[in-house]
Amino acid sequence: MTRVRVAAPTRQSRVISSGRPAPHGGRRASGEDDAAQVYLRSLLRSQLRLALVIALGFLLIAGLFSLVGWVPWLRGLSILGVPFAWILLGAGLFPVILLSAVLYTRQAQRNEERYRDLTEER
Amino acid sequence: MNAPLALGAILLVAAATVLIGFHGLRISRTTSDFYVASRTVQPWWNASAIGGEYLSAASFLGVAGLVFLNGRDALWYPVGYTAGYLMLLLFVAAPLRRSGAYTVPDFAQARLGSLLARRLTSLIVVLVGCLYIVPQLHGAALTVSIMTGLPPWAGSGTVAVIVTLAVVAGGMRSMTFVQAFQFWLKLAALAVPTLFMVFSVQGLHPASAPLAVETTAASGALGTYQNVSLFLALLLGTLGLPHVLVRFYTNPDGPTARKTTVLVLGLLSMFYLLPVVLGYLARVYVPGIVTGTQPDAVVLLLPHALVPGPVGDLLTALVVAGAFAAFLSTTSGLVVSVAGVLSQDALGGGVKGFRWAAVLAMLVPFLVSVPTQSPALAGSVGQVFAFTASTLCPVLVLGIWWPRLSTAGAVAGMLAGGLGCGGAMVATAVLGAAAPVWVSQPAAWSVPLAFAVMIGVSWATPRSIPADAWRTLRRLHAPERR
Repeated sequence: MTRVRVAAPTRQSRVISSGRPAPHGGRRASGEDDAAQVYLRSLLRSQLRLALVIALGFLLIAGLFSLVGWVPWLRGLSILGVPFAWILLGAGLFPVILLSAVLYTRQAQRNEERYRDLTEER
Repeated sequence: MNAPLALGAILLVAAATVLIGFHGLRISRTTSDFYVASRTVQPWWNASAIGGEYLSAASFLGVAGLVFLNGRDALWYPVGYTAGYLMLLLFVAAPLRRSGAYTVPDFAQARLGSLLARRLTSLIVVLVGCLYIVPQLHGAALTVSIMTGLPPWAGSGTVAVIVTLAVVAGGMRSMTFVQAFQFWLKLAALAVPTLFMVFSVQGLHPASAPLAVETTAASGALGTYQNVSLFLALLLGTLGLPHVLVRFYTNPDGPTARKTTVLVLGLLSMFYLLPVVLGYLARVYVPGIVTGTQPDAVVLLLPHALVPGPVGDLLTALVVAGAFAAFLSTTSGLVVSVAGVLSQDALGGGVKGFRWAAVLAMLVPFLVSVPTQSPALAGSVGQVFAFTASTLCPVLVLGIWWPRLSTAGAVAGMLAGGLGCGGAMVATAVLGAAAPVWVSQPAAWSVPLAFAVMIGVSWATPRSIPADAWRTLRRLHAPERR
């Protein structure tokens, strides 16, 4: 991914927006504004990357699980009379979903922590 | 079938709903209470309430019915319903809460600064809400007519009256309590009978060999397309469901919104195991339990088929109570969110506007539901998911993550996805079983179409990118101050 530096629109600080003010909105020198913008961009990018990685990982596992039905020697497998492919799809994916959710929440919180450290030291 | 027992169960659930709803009346006083419970609902309450609201007729009756009917392919429904919440957590939950808006149209207006975008989103929310309420009422009609022999409209009418009363009286605050209660009722109402049935089949000989349940209704490339399209619709459709989104505004802040979503995922994972087990039991042990026309009745008829006698009667009554909780909670959640949008955009807001909007939001779907019927509840609800995935999902995801989204792009994308998917839904309704699979399962092409149009038109119209896009994104993503 190439990093494209885009300066914040200068009008931004003059726009009066409804709702509560952004943590770092308002008036400040343009140098600080640029820095805040860079931090925000990097937060946005790391959160999006995290979300996409987790989503794709889950889809990959779901896809693998669904393939089990097509593998001949696994087709015949059953546990307590219930076909293995059913157990995998009907019960096995739920723990995967939960694990993905917990992993995501922890990492997302960490990303926000880092952003806060960067911006609140000033 | 024991009609008085089933009727008693229905009345009990109805009475509990109204009582808890009126209890909420005493503590909801302000407009904010009505719309978003003043944003003071704690994660556990909120997670139970979200679960209660989300587990609709389609989950309670429909999933087991489809597992019974279609076998392993139908397992994508429970998995998709749950995984949709994972997508919600990943892409929407915390930023949406921080946006500080009441409803999805509020979000669209805050992000895009356009009244046109707001109106279009409102229209879609109202449409989705009504489309989603109708199958709930069909479920109620089916349950009452099968269990008590009363005419079908008695079931949907009961739901309509109770929901109107509860919502008009208490708004969102009281609905939170009602729905949290109804989640646990639904869980118990499936868990207890499932345990009984699992034990009672231990001595039974399977009517069909276990491996026979492997066979799937559709196979080959068409079957794969159908599964992929359905899974996509369920994954991304949850992101746009108005009654689910409106709940996120009741969290105090972004991290709480995330915590709530993780809790909801735990609750849903627990619940969705049950209809899968029930569908499997029906398929293996009583393959003749219902004819192909009403697979949704499986859950209602199974307890009596596997556990005869008075115990079976009691279990059936429990299932009926759970089913009614499902109709009531989902319907009331939808009515609250539709009424919120209607009253703000058309009736001038305020508590009075909200009440009138709630009456309207219940009456119209009821009138639609009486002369029609859903062939399979999970199927009809799946189509609504496809529609939200093609309209509200792209505008939320791109609005939250893409600073270059332009107002023209958002409007064009919603129109393209909405018309494409909506057209396919109408065509499916007209053609019935003759509809080709790419028409009956449109999500696989209509969702990419909506995203592509939204992105393409945004690139072509850089002038209609909101000037304060970055400022809004900062509000969505920057963590709260300590």
